[in-house]
Amino acid sequence: MELPGKGLLKGLGVTLKTMTRKNGVQQYPDVQPDLPARSRGVIALMEANCTVCMLCARECPDWCIYIDSHKETVEVPGAARARQKNVLDRFDIDFSLCMYCGICIEVCPFDALYWAPEFAYAEGDIRNLLHDRGRLGEHMAHVPAPDAHDPMGEPSKEESTAAKKGGAR
Amino acid sequence: MTREMTVGVGAGADHLDTTEMVLNIGPQHPSTHGVLRLKLKLDGERVTACEPVVGYMHRGAEKLFEVRDYRQILMLANRHDWLSAFCSELGVALAVERLMGIEVPERAVWLRTALAELNRVLNHLMFLGSYPLEIGAITPVFYAFREREVLQGVFEEAAGGRMHFMFNRIGGLKEEVPVGWTGRAREAIGLVRKRMPDIDKLITRNEIFLARTKGVGVLTPEKAVAYGVSGPVARASGVDFDLRRDEPYLAYGELKVPVVTRTAGDCHARFECLLEQVYVSLDLAEECLNRVDAISGPVNVRLPKVVKAPEGHTYAWTENPLGVNGYYLVSRGEKTPYRLKLRTASYSNVQALATLLEGCLVPDLVAVLGSMFFVVGDVDK
Repeated sequence: MELPGKGLLKGLGVTLKTMTRKNGVQQYPDVQPDLPARSRGVIALMEANCTVCMLCARECPDWCIYIDSHKETVEVPGAARARQKNVLDRFDIDFSLCMYCGICIEVCPFDALYWAPEFAYAEGDIRNLLHDRGRLGEHMAHVPAPDAHDPMGEPSKEESTAAKKGGAR
Repeated sequence: MTREMTVGVGAGADHLDTTEMVLNIGPQHPSTHGVLRLKLKLDGERVTACEPVVGYMHRGAEKLFEVRDYRQILMLANRHDWLSAFCSELGVALAVERLMGIEVPERAVWLRTALAELNRVLNHLMFLGSYPLEIGAITPVFYAFREREVLQGVFEEAAGGRMHFMFNRIGGLKEEVPVGWTGRAREAIGLVRKRMPDIDKLITRNEIFLARTKGVGVLTPEKAVAYGVSGPVARASGVDFDLRRDEPYLAYGELKVPVVTRTAGDCHARFECLLEQVYVSLDLAEECLNRVDAISGPVNVRLPKVVKAPEGHTYAWTENPLGVNGYYLVSRGEKTPYRLKLRTASYSNVQALATLLEGCLVPDLVAVLGSMFFVVGDVDK
């Protein structure tokens, strides 16, 4: 026969124990959370790397990337023919549609897109979640250096490129 | 308008008996984890019939799969059951890999197993917190979420996400884990294991909790099998079936998977099953992490630019946190599947409510409903 109320008392014991422990509350706006480098907060655009290949817009599962561009002819001195160059007019990501899967970043062949652990961009109006290229470019400031891979696995793309460059020098 | 009635001997049978009443629970009821509607027929306080009405959250996931390539499908697959995202994307990846004949590198297999088990812990902790909450015990949910936070940190460091991990790829994982991650993951597991008894002591033997759950909503093993109930809910009824042991996938073949079962089949047994599975999963995850540390090599394979599954069909099933998930993939050699049928655990678990709630009292309703452990997104797909 168990003592009546034993289960309740045990529960209260846990409460009492927890009461004596230091709590782990972080005062959010004053103390910013320490987020890992891979944290998927917002997508940043490095415009200089973008060649308007449209891969990101095509591979996006819900088509929330809008790209417009036009072609410009560039005369290269010494070259036989003038070269055609894509110029970006518009690069918008609609974060009200974005599912934060990261496929666009993965498919980008020229490393124009990055994840940044920036998260505080909630808006009162849903239309303001459409970030244009200027806004996306600003997010580049939050992009952290990628963290090194586990030595047991394969090194990251950045690590192996750096090693190659170091070796060639 | 007034009605005159003569009350005499025998009037009770004609006029004063209770009439049947139809009561709708939901679709917007906090204990349904989403939008599930239960159409109940009541005779006073007693439920005489129950019909679960599903589909309020139907998003046509299977149809959407047919117009997405395999990488995009993973993104959709981790969303129908938002509490077991990693395990759900894993099932799709396993089916496609089998059809394409891809052999996943060993390191990826062990990492996947470790993460799948950690995802199981995350899922179970959610229910361990929310179930007592539904029947009036507010405190355990804070303890459960304290542990979830620790493990979500582990996931976030590797995958970047806290809920929709998107870490599986056809042929392995998205990328290698960061340096020192396995150590930190082991620390987190140790911490959660050390603090798990808090939840246990808080609620499992609590007299009020016992009174609400013991002997309530008993599901017989026959009924469980008949309705296709699986996972911890079925095992609480004594159905000794766990795909991790009975048809091993990933690295489970090399692991000894203890299958947690109970025989009572009531709400309390289901809760106990969930609680003990957390310990089992933590142990399994730790063992997997030890193996990961001993294996070097890549975590994914090089894929062609356009991933196309060859013509054919295959059926992959996995032991998801909530039960058996099945993926029937039919491909006609395109880059999208011709059909990808999803068999989700929650759907079958919810169907059993029809038999479980019959004859139970309205005050027990939420206790039974919450103990069936389902996610409505997983029911409606």
